[in-house]
Amino acid sequence: MSDMNNTSNQTWTHKVMASRYFCFEFIAGSLLTGTLVLVVLLSGVLFPDGGGKVNLVARLTEPFQSAEFFLGTDPLGRDILERIVHGGRVSLVVGLLSALGAVVLGTVIGLFAGYYRGFLDAFIMRFADIQLALPFILLAITVIAIVGPGIDRIIVLMIVSQWVQYARLVRGSVLSLREREFVQAARSYGLSDVKIIFRHILPNALGPLIILLTLNVANNILLESSLTFLGLGADPQTPTWGGMLSEGRSYIQTAWWVTVFPGIAIMLTVLGLNLLGDWLRDELDPLGKTRA
Amino acid sequence: MSFTSKLSLKKGLTRSLLLATALCAVTPAVSFAETILNVAQRDDPQNLDPIDTFRLSWGSIGSNVFEGLVFRGEDLELAPGLATGWEFLDDETRIRFTLREGVTFHNGEPFNADAVKYTFDRLLGEQGEQGPQRSNYTSIKEVVVVDPFTVDFLMERPDPVLITKLAGYGAMIVPPKYIEEVGEEAFDMKPVGTGPFMVDAYTPTVNVELTKNDAYWNGDAQVDGVNIRFIAEDATRMAELLSGGVDIALNIPTPSVDTVRESDRVDLVAVDGPTVVITRFNTAKGITADPRVRKAITMAIDTNAIIEAILGGLASPISSAQGTKSFGNDATLTPYAYDPEGAKALLKEAGIAPGTEISLDFSGNDDTFREVAQVIAAYLDMVGLKLNVTPHERSVYTNDIIANGKTGEMYHFGWGGWTFDFDNTAYLLYRSGERFNPYIEDSELDALLDKQRATYDTDVRRQALQDVAGYAYDTALDLPLYNLSTLYGVSTSVKGFVPAPDDRARYMSVTVEE
Amino acid sequence: MPILRFLIQRLLQAVLVTIAVTLFVAFAIRLTGDPAIMMTAQSSSVTEADLDRIREALGLNQSFIKQYFDFVRNILSGDLGESFFRGSVRDLIALALPSTLLLAVASMVVSIALSIPLGIYAAVHKGGAADQIIRVLSLVGLSFPNFWLGIMLVLMFSITFPILPASGFSSWQSILLPATTIGIILTATNVRLVRTQMLETLSSQYVMVARAKGLSEKTVIYKHALRNAAISIVTFLGLQFGNLIGGLVIIELVFNWPGMGTLSIEAIAQRDYPLLQATVSILAIMIVAVNLAVDLVYGLIDPRIRVA
Repeated sequence: MSDMNNTSNQTWTHKVMASRYFCFEFIAGSLLTGTLVLVVLLSGVLFPDGGGKVNLVARLTEPFQSAEFFLGTDPLGRDILERIVHGGRVSLVVGLLSALGAVVLGTVIGLFAGYYRGFLDAFIMRFADIQLALPFILLAITVIAIVGPGIDRIIVLMIVSQWVQYARLVRGSVLSLREREFVQAARSYGLSDVKIIFRHILPNALGPLIILLTLNVANNILLESSLTFLGLGADPQTPTWGGMLSEGRSYIQTAWWVTVFPGIAIMLTVLGLNLLGDWLRDELDPLGKTRA
Repeated sequence: MSFTSKLSLKKGLTRSLLLATALCAVTPAVSFAETILNVAQRDDPQNLDPIDTFRLSWGSIGSNVFEGLVFRGEDLELAPGLATGWEFLDDETRIRFTLREGVTFHNGEPFNADAVKYTFDRLLGEQGEQGPQRSNYTSIKEVVVVDPFTVDFLMERPDPVLITKLAGYGAMIVPPKYIEEVGEEAFDMKPVGTGPFMVDAYTPTVNVELTKNDAYWNGDAQVDGVNIRFIAEDATRMAELLSGGVDIALNIPTPSVDTVRESDRVDLVAVDGPTVVITRFNTAKGITADPRVRKAITMAIDTNAIIEAILGGLASPISSAQGTKSFGNDATLTPYAYDPEGAKALLKEAGIAPGTEISLDFSGNDDTFREVAQVIAAYLDMVGLKLNVTPHERSVYTNDIIANGKTGEMYHFGWGGWTFDFDNTAYLLYRSGERFNPYIEDSELDALLDKQRATYDTDVRRQALQDVAGYAYDTALDLPLYNLSTLYGVSTSVKGFVPAPDDRARYMSVTVEE
Repeated sequence: MPILRFLIQRLLQAVLVTIAVTLFVAFAIRLTGDPAIMMTAQSSSVTEADLDRIREALGLNQSFIKQYFDFVRNILSGDLGESFFRGSVRDLIALALPSTLLLAVASMVVSIALSIPLGIYAAVHKGGAADQIIRVLSLVGLSFPNFWLGIMLVLMFSITFPILPASGFSSWQSILLPATTIGIILTATNVRLVRTQMLETLSSQYVMVARAKGLSEKTVIYKHALRNAAISIVTFLGLQFGNLIGGLVIIELVFNWPGMGTLSIEAIAQRDYPLLQATVSILAIMIVAVNLAVDLVYGLIDPRIRVA
């Protein structure tokens, strides 16, 4: 009897332990990302005022001194916690939309170019070369000088300049995959090209793609801050983490909290996204090659 | 940096060709027991020829190398420079300058009437046409040599600010023989003047090195050389100042003021500067075409609070687009008092519904104004106006948004007329058809502005300029914000530095303690 | 001679790309505004006639085609023409290009020296404590905005502990802070890449075969696995180096490094067409060359790809 109990207990814990959801990456990653998304979704409820009220009397209040300004205030006396919560919205939208747009565009183009080779491949890859040869920051400054600043433009710019790296990465994988035995086999069974590309090649090319994607979401959140650093970013009334970092840089020596807290917000986001990305990569890896 | 490390650096250079190519121009001629003053300024003037530049960043180099017929020092008083005196002749159509004798250029070439004539022929001729300075001096018809040390300026039209303008920028006297010998391009990089320092080496985007001119006619510089580095990023310039990498830093940004104040090894030196910051209104269309709305906006903003909180108190309130040192400033004109209730009443009277949206355009690379713009938005929010602030890239902002009248209801304008004469600012702000005046066409203002340009009579001019300021004030053409102080960060080891209000720092009297 | 054909084909493509990029740059910069106005932006008394005269002196009244061909001729003759504001473009670039390349190479060296050993170690000891620490640290490294990290390093090593110069390029120590800043950021990415690629190849069939043959673990890792992982790693590093040459702008600003980024930014700000055309074109040519090199190496390592 006791044996039976033990066994079923073991089976139960064993099941949980062996479950694909029981690992550090998934738990920590989804906790961080989940909290973040929740906070961002609830930003309007938590702080209905928006991006923080200017309050010159309270400017540069130190953190942890009062409940009102728990993380202190910025040079205009705005509550940093409030701005971080609201800033997360823009930063996440910029990071996610731009990376997703680029990955979809780049993957599709890269898959077809790599699979069919020939004229399409050459044309697309030369186009990619042109884009790769144009330094992003310089391109951004030039384009924004022509079309004017704005979040939407920044997202489009990022997609336009980043799809290339996905396309090249995917194409590289496809080039070696299409010669592999299982693809040859699929072809000899008479499967359609589209099926081969999306069923057999894409899943095998996903690993590096997902790493690059998670890196890019984070990277684009940082890129937004670089553009703000150059004076090309979102309008100053819209709080963004990058903007907060960049605007606070002159205060680093006298008021560390102005840049450190948004910096931590970015860090936790990046950490969460990448942990999830790692986990997802293991899950999507059809051969289970990299699983422990 | 010490010279020993520079020496060892030179030895190490052979190891890396790359390093050598990039460094050779940076490494100064080495000699021992010299004191070098290290200075950091924000911008590279990019061209050291006085007629090719309009930048304040040239002023803080060129003023140590070149001299004009007239000298204007830190007290802003006009004094004899390379001319010992001048007089107006022939009904003020001819100005006669008596030149200083015994002055030589850094290359040994003598200074005389021919050099003066050459300077202005060059400025007003073909060479000057390619540069931005010429237009400031077109009131001069011709320079005539009377004898080796006397020249006459024949005037095309009266120019009351000419004598001041002869103390700066395009009017710096240049050596004819040297330029003919080395050519214009070489002169851009290694110019020769008559000033207390000579240009030793200029490395674009990096630095310019000056050495003491031992043959200077008016005393001796206290240091043997000055190394002026160009550091565009504010935080980096501050880091160099605080770490002792430089002895003097120009263009201290307002967010760093506290950092400099708290440091033991650096002092903050402030002096009233030429730069005024205003926001202008679109007086042609939108709700700001109504003077009551403009007045209401002006009254809704507490500029004193902005100055105290954002600018660390290092600016003064203004009632018109000029500071207290400006010729044409009317001390009796006091800025509109902060009165949000009055502003609300005026807005109501003008029929403006609460929650009306207006916008403010500005140049996005101005970190200080970025903060100020958001404070303005907060103040306007309190009187029921929703202000959207829109940053632009600097050159798009000046070239397109302002010049082509594409601004919103309000737009940022900062101007530092180094002449400290309201004519400079007022003409471009209010005269119809001027490039930076897209909206105002007012015959009364035009008449006043033209009148003061046509006479040398200072009382008439002052009155006309004060009238312009008063008119702009009464009709609230602009929202005057503040007059920025010129800020220098100076190491405690530096003595004898006299801050120049016009940003034209001079290093002749400066000493550095080891 | 398939290799020769491959080479010629790629070279021709690179030339086409270069032409496209220079055309694009020359065209785009002319949409951004008038240099004559920039030149006189701080001058109060300028008339339209003055502006016209400046435009004529700068050659801006000529057709775009003529201006573009003048520029191409200048590039081909090695004389890059005159900047609108500051003398010979060639002299400016002769100073800036070596600085940028030096910084880019130094940063890559820092990054490769850190990321390849760390990445291999993490992959070989997958799941162990060291692997976890390396992964978490790489994530932390990824989350720094470059300018912020740069400023923090300056605070620490130039102000709090004044042992390194804060900025500029005046001695060999000057390169330490900027190269470390970029190196750290690149390492965060590269460590992960190396680790993943190594894991993929370590579990591939022929590595298993190699193991089964009884080859030593060292041989398996370094000769078989690393060589195979190198394809993706080299592709990625190549792209990264290309990106880096054009992406040093912000670090150059923060460290006041006299490179191509600083020069380009100033050229854009002033609408200095000749200078911007030259800097961007040269950066583009270099990036194209690097990408070409990556392609060729790719072809050498994996001969299956060479035969198009």
